[in-house]
Amino acid sequence: MLRISFTVVLLLLLAACSQQPVISDERIRFERRMPANFSGSWQRNYARDDEVNAVLRDAYNKLIRTLPDQRRPAGSGTDPSASKQMDSLLALARLAELITRPDVLTISQTKHEISIARKDDFAMLCAFYDGVAKAIENDNGTEICGWIGNQLISNLVLRGGLQVTHRFTMSTDGQQMRVVTTVSSTTSRIPFTLRRFYSKFERPTSDFNCIETFSMKRVCSTTEIVR
Amino acid sequence: MTRITAEVCTSRVSRIIILLMCIPLRFAGADTFIVEDARELSALNVSIAVFDTGVPEDLSLHRDLQVFPQIREIEAMFLPFVLRETLVKTTEWGAVRVVPRPDVAAELLVSGTILKSDGETLELRIRVVDASGRVWLDKAFVGKVTDSHATVGSGSGSPGYQQLYDEIAESLLLARAQLEDEVLADIVEIALLRHAKQLAPSAFGDYLSKADDGTFTIHRLPARDDPMLDRIERIRGAEYVITDAIDAKFQELHAEIASIYDLWREYRRKVIGYQAEDARRAQSTKSSAPRGSYEALLNLYDNYKLDRITAQEQDSLAVAFSNEVGPTIAAMETRVAELEGWVDTQYAEWYRLLEELFEVESGVEQ
Repeated sequence: MLRISFTVVLLLLLAACSQQPVISDERIRFERRMPANFSGSWQRNYARDDEVNAVLRDAYNKLIRTLPDQRRPAGSGTDPSASKQMDSLLALARLAELITRPDVLTISQTKHEISIARKDDFAMLCAFYDGVAKAIENDNGTEICGWIGNQLISNLVLRGGLQVTHRFTMSTDGQQMRVVTTVSSTTSRIPFTLRRFYSKFERPTSDFNCIETFSMKRVCSTTEIVR
Repeated sequence: MTRITAEVCTSRVSRIIILLMCIPLRFAGADTFIVEDARELSALNVSIAVFDTGVPEDLSLHRDLQVFPQIREIEAMFLPFVLRETLVKTTEWGAVRVVPRPDVAAELLVSGTILKSDGETLELRIRVVDASGRVWLDKAFVGKVTDSHATVGSGSGSPGYQQLYDEIAESLLLARAQLEDEVLADIVEIALLRHAKQLAPSAFGDYLSKADDGTFTIHRLPARDDPMLDRIERIRGAEYVITDAIDAKFQELHAEIASIYDLWREYRRKVIGYQAEDARRAQSTKSSAPRGSYEALLNLYDNYKLDRITAQEQDSLAVAFSNEVGPTIAAMETRVAELEGWVDTQYAEWYRLLEELFEVESGVEQ
């Protein structure tokens, strides 16, 4: 309990540095079972995805509205701070595009954990024990999850004021999923948000039963493998 | 008590005695009796119980402490055998056996808890208690592997940690050296009497006294030619044969998984080395890109990503290790359970027969 409190305090402190609110204390808790089961294989539905340039254009417009008046005397050039803000927003957009690039998500959900495997990236991990979220920490950042209703939220707070939040929402029939990814930084006035859509699919069954072993790597058999 | 005629009594006694006499015949040729007869007073029999895994009950701590519960369970069965081998090599002890559960009537019982095992450091808490309840040893032993110690593929299951096992063996010898010969002789007697009391409480219930601190002393001794004691010794001999069979299973387990366990340990040791190196690298090679630039943000993200991928790799290799040795462990556990089941069944039968025999022998109408 002490550890959880420490984690929450740490996250709040980190959040304070990075502008964006983190998952609040009540959202890292749930009663009895996890509110939704995201298990399965999900492939990108590119037709429904946000178009990065369009989102970036909207974000630019929003940013400009937040900046001081740009009408300056002729010959004085562009305000350097405004230019820096533009660059920061573009950097966030590029990172968001990179993070949301995987076209397949493989989600495994157990009583205590949700693992979201992505190609060319680490698997996001949500750990819950006794209905309370447990942060995954290393020297470079902290990852913690929470729930808002049936929506799963993964919040990654990195050293240096960078924060990545994913919100997973499943359709009522459990066949469609929307992932809203927000990347924010202490260097940018506004965050950058991208939506990706996924459809559930069944992986084809193999004629082979395979397991990973330590010394022989992947071992396959046409018969059942004793574990 | 039921009145028993001399004729009925003779018939029942004969039947029970024949049953009990059969026990050692079934195991004729077993070494146990020879060891018992020939050993020196100081050469106590040692039972090493399967270690406590030391896995915290709080599941949420496993990841932080880098504890892989399935692997700890394997180590709990595997590491006692390495200690057994070390003690056997000293030639200072009687029979040294690995047993699946603590035997309170053992002459010397070694229990252990794995406090830490990460490939680089092995920390064991070892507690040694003799049959009289005297604590010989209760301390933590720490072994650290350095590059010069690491010998991958030695198949010993303990490259780099042999010093730790040697220290335990040395501590045991030191503890024994503190004890007089009479004390050692008493330990052997008490072990036998505690065993006898377990099997035939009616006959052996009052030979030992138990102090408030849990230690036992001999209150009185049975006659040298006590036929009941002779039967107990025969039964114990039979039990030893089964215990040796169980011990042999631990030996087989060790032989089968030692090399793969060495590989796992070496992998874990290297991971720890890489983690330390990564931390140093992250400190020394901070991105020179302007703060807030794409390169700077990517650097922050990639540092975290690298740490997480390393952790994931470890998790999946821990599962792979369990997958690989799982069938061996399962087969051994099944066989040990069969042998233990046999002993439990026989034990109940022996208990019944001995109690019956005691009743018959002490209740005969003269």
